[in-house]
Amino acid sequence: MGRSLRLNQEARWGLIFALPWIVAFLVFTAYPILLAVKMSYLDINLLQVEKARFVGFDNWVRAVQDPVFWKALFNVVYNQAIFISLSFVVAMVFAALLKEIRYGGTFFRTMYFLPVVTSVTVAMLIFKFIADPQGPIQQSLIEMGLLEKPVFWTFSKWLPMPILAIFNTWKWFGVQLLIFLGGMLSINPEILEAAAVDGAGAWTRFRRITLPLLRPQIIFVLTMNLINGLQMFTEVFLTFDLYGGPYGSGLTPVLYIYTKGFTEMEMGYAATLGLFLAAIIFVAQQLQSRILTRQTAGE
Amino acid sequence: MKTRRFLAQAPIYLFLILGLVVVAYPFFFMLMNSVKPGMEILHYPNHLPTRISWLGYIRVFRELNLLRLFANTLFVSGTVTILSVLCNAMVGYALAKLRFPGRNALFTLMLATMMIPSVLLLVPSYMMMYRWGWVDTYLPLILPAAVSAFNIFLIRQFVGEIPDAYLEAARLDGATEWQLFWRIILPMSGPVLSTVAILTFMAAWNDLFGPLLWLRDEKLFTLQLALQRFEGTIPGQFAEERWAATTLVTLPVVFVYLLLQRSFIKAFTNVGLK
Repeated sequence: MGRSLRLNQEARWGLIFALPWIVAFLVFTAYPILLAVKMSYLDINLLQVEKARFVGFDNWVRAVQDPVFWKALFNVVYNQAIFISLSFVVAMVFAALLKEIRYGGTFFRTMYFLPVVTSVTVAMLIFKFIADPQGPIQQSLIEMGLLEKPVFWTFSKWLPMPILAIFNTWKWFGVQLLIFLGGMLSINPEILEAAAVDGAGAWTRFRRITLPLLRPQIIFVLTMNLINGLQMFTEVFLTFDLYGGPYGSGLTPVLYIYTKGFTEMEMGYAATLGLFLAAIIFVAQQLQSRILTRQTAGE
Repeated sequence: MKTRRFLAQAPIYLFLILGLVVVAYPFFFMLMNSVKPGMEILHYPNHLPTRISWLGYIRVFRELNLLRLFANTLFVSGTVTILSVLCNAMVGYALAKLRFPGRNALFTLMLATMMIPSVLLLVPSYMMMYRWGWVDTYLPLILPAAVSAFNIFLIRQFVGEIPDAYLEAARLDGATEWQLFWRIILPMSGPVLSTVAILTFMAAWNDLFGPLLWLRDEKLFTLQLALQRFEGTIPGQFAEERWAATTLVTLPVVFVYLLLQRSFIKAFTNVGLK
């Protein structure tokens, strides 16, 4: 009797304690998703909601055929292909080196993390000046004879995304480094020593032992990169106009959604693009986890 | 022996220092230009200043209401952080320690919401809150950020490790569930709560997108938004002020980071282990 009474009370308190999430989920997640679905069938302007018009699948047909959206999607994929590989290598190399040294490890780690705590806004504003045709990088390259003339990369067709990938590597490799280093330090050193005794070189040890054992960390980093990277906004918003420069080479899907929804006021279409992008990200995630788990099963 | 080992590691240190230069140079570039006279910033952006000028720092207080911007940003980030620690801890505790009907379903649903990209919610949330009259208030910046599935997950994992014996003993002493939470769970969850606090505060402090969407009235602006607007003015104008402003926005963050360096590093490591 007393036990069931306590259980009842526990159940009641459990629900009370879980209430913040339940309310937040209903109000800020579930309802907006339903609203997004509804809006995707409407031609709706924020300022004249009463004039909303049902348009059936028009928004969806338009979204699937919109060359600007596909261009924006291509841009982020192009950006991520470079960013993910570059930051992976940089973070892995620095993590491996930090693991080797005896003194100053904390100091280097602390400093490498500095860009991570700086806001994207500040970092991007500085970077724009540094990568500017008048800035230090290009000027030194010209002085060294490696560059013929200054490059106006924000106005070019192909350069914005690789250059932003370099920026983002600078900005974020500290997090990946930390995660990889944590993983490396949890590997039993005896395994590595035994392999060294058996004559395995540093590269073989890294390739055959460290890398496979880092799989959980690698999967985590790749998943985070995918979700965040495909939603890039602030970097391009601060660098380009609302259409991603003259060739649209700086346009990302989220910048496009922002432009459509909040400056051109096509809220219905913007909501459709949001759903569409979310679906694409979801599929990409599924594919990625399939590939990663299949590889695990294969070994 | 010791020196030989150190010498063997010299190339590694050289490489690490090279990395350090690359990481630190942009900050150095910012500091250097913030104390340069205006003409030198425009004509010799890459050279060291010939003389130190504090004009930018003096004038930036005329162009930007920095104290107000700092206060606004601190208010928003502080409120989000306090709410986030409290709400997420409550839910995390319930999911880890309290048996209630539908708990497992709730947890599964919560994990599923972590896969929802925030861009999906952008447009409909704006529509919804616009109609509620939330534009030009801090509500859209604070309330949705106060509860996060990811933080709840972190806390649930941590609280799950606290032995039930503590809770049982307190229950026998007649403590209420709220007292258990307030007197036992919260104090014992220090490490994970500081992780949640640091991640939440940093995200709120550094956010540009939220303030950009929701704030129109300059009196409500946060630091990042003000900085972005300041940048958008005529190029070349405010050359000194812009670098001073960027430095002033960055220094407190760097200072706090260096002060709490261990907790920051731990916060990000915790995230990676899950």
